[in-house]
Amino acid sequence: MRDFLDERPLKLRREPAGDRGYWRVIALALVLLLVSVLMLVLDRQGIITPVHLRLREVLQPLASWLTERRTDLVSWWSTPRDVATMQARIAELEAENARLAAEVLRLKQVQVENSFLRQQLAITRSYPWTILGAEVMVLAPDAARRVLTIARGAEDGVRVGMAVISQQPGGPPALIGVVEAVGPRTADVLMITDISSQLSVRLLQADSAPLGLMQGQWQRGSRLRVELIDRSLAMREGDHVVTAGISGALDLPLDLAAMPQAVPIGVIEAVRQEGQRQIGEIRPFVDPDQVRYVWVIISQDG
Amino acid sequence: MGNNQSRRIEERLARELGLVLILLLLALIQVTLLTAPTGFCIPLLLVLAIGRALVGAGTAEPVRGFMRGLWWAFYSGIALDLLGSMPFGSHAIAHLVAVLVVGLATRRFAVERPLVSLLAVACGTLIYEAVLWLTVLPSGSDWQAYVRVVMLPSLLLALIPTLPTVALLYRLVRTV
Repeated sequence: MRDFLDERPLKLRREPAGDRGYWRVIALALVLLLVSVLMLVLDRQGIITPVHLRLREVLQPLASWLTERRTDLVSWWSTPRDVATMQARIAELEAENARLAAEVLRLKQVQVENSFLRQQLAITRSYPWTILGAEVMVLAPDAARRVLTIARGAEDGVRVGMAVISQQPGGPPALIGVVEAVGPRTADVLMITDISSQLSVRLLQADSAPLGLMQGQWQRGSRLRVELIDRSLAMREGDHVVTAGISGALDLPLDLAAMPQAVPIGVIEAVRQEGQRQIGEIRPFVDPDQVRYVWVIISQDG
Repeated sequence: MGNNQSRRIEERLARELGLVLILLLLALIQVTLLTAPTGFCIPLLLVLAIGRALVGAGTAEPVRGFMRGLWWAFYSGIALDLLGSMPFGSHAIAHLVAVLVVGLATRRFAVERPLVSLLAVACGTLIYEAVLWLTVLPSGSDWQAYVRVVMLPSLLLALIPTLPTVALLYRLVRTV
């Protein structure tokens, strides 16, 4: 049928006509699912991973820019209104003198950089580590895995299995994750709070340092928990938890061999009994979800 | 005639490329601007794909409309895979399964009713998160905790943009 007023074919809404033609939908869905499963298999075998990382490298500058805009927006939103008025006035004054504004901006950037470098120097003086500072570019888009991407990669010496630390004011530098995948200029860090993150740790007690196994608990509504290997030993609230670095100490050919020993993690907050097992809830020194700047431990011999 | 046909193919390819780029941009927005400090993000692309399938299935050519929804689901899944850290293809699978199941289940309902869109997106989000859970998390994980900590918050976030998104798609698809 045609609409003779504008010479265009007229499309009429069809009456319900059963499920004729839906086999095409099923067929298309099956084909697309097959392609997706194929990509999943190829990725698991590492065949398309380099292409994936390379494509992500291309998109990272735009992603970083958008993340910065979001951070600006959040900070603007959380600023009290009276301060905002003052800032607007300051902005007007700054606009009158562009050269001074640029200078202030440059000095602020230097100040931030200086602050990070001072922190880095303090860490390097206190611990036998060689560390590399990195900005957090983007958090993973899915709640199912706790991963963040940092702006350092293989070209900077970052390797899979390296420990990633951060520091919050008043606290020690502490482990927040382990490098999981490395691109040329970026790297993915699996947070210690992710459920798939498991690490051997030591509990620092007055007379001993028993070994335990720590696992992330984010997907279970908590953060970290630890269970002692030797069940005859007691775990106490307030015990400090640090990495054991067993793979590195035994010189095992594993990714986690790059994990140094005695990297602070957190403190035992609560202990509960589950049958024969003692489970300790850990309060981490640094919340991995809140970090914006991190350091990768490149080597542990200083 | 040959010229006409090749031009049509070129136009079709250009349209698909344009759609892929737009969805990629929206994926970037989803993972950067629509994330909360708590780790969740509004699954805008999933809502778009489900909305496209629902609106498409309500047009004069329901099968074709539904199939466009599947293509949107595939493209947006790939875009998220590109930006995410999960195995490549996992978001695409989750999007496709969610859109297929929800689209088939709601094909006889009128998308003009807000409740239909809201229920479709709610079910689609649960299916999407469940498929991701099956694809990625280690076996033996506590699924009840996963439902409480991950699936329910994601569901609530997905409902926020549902009605505006479906209304916009309805307007765009029906007027083009």
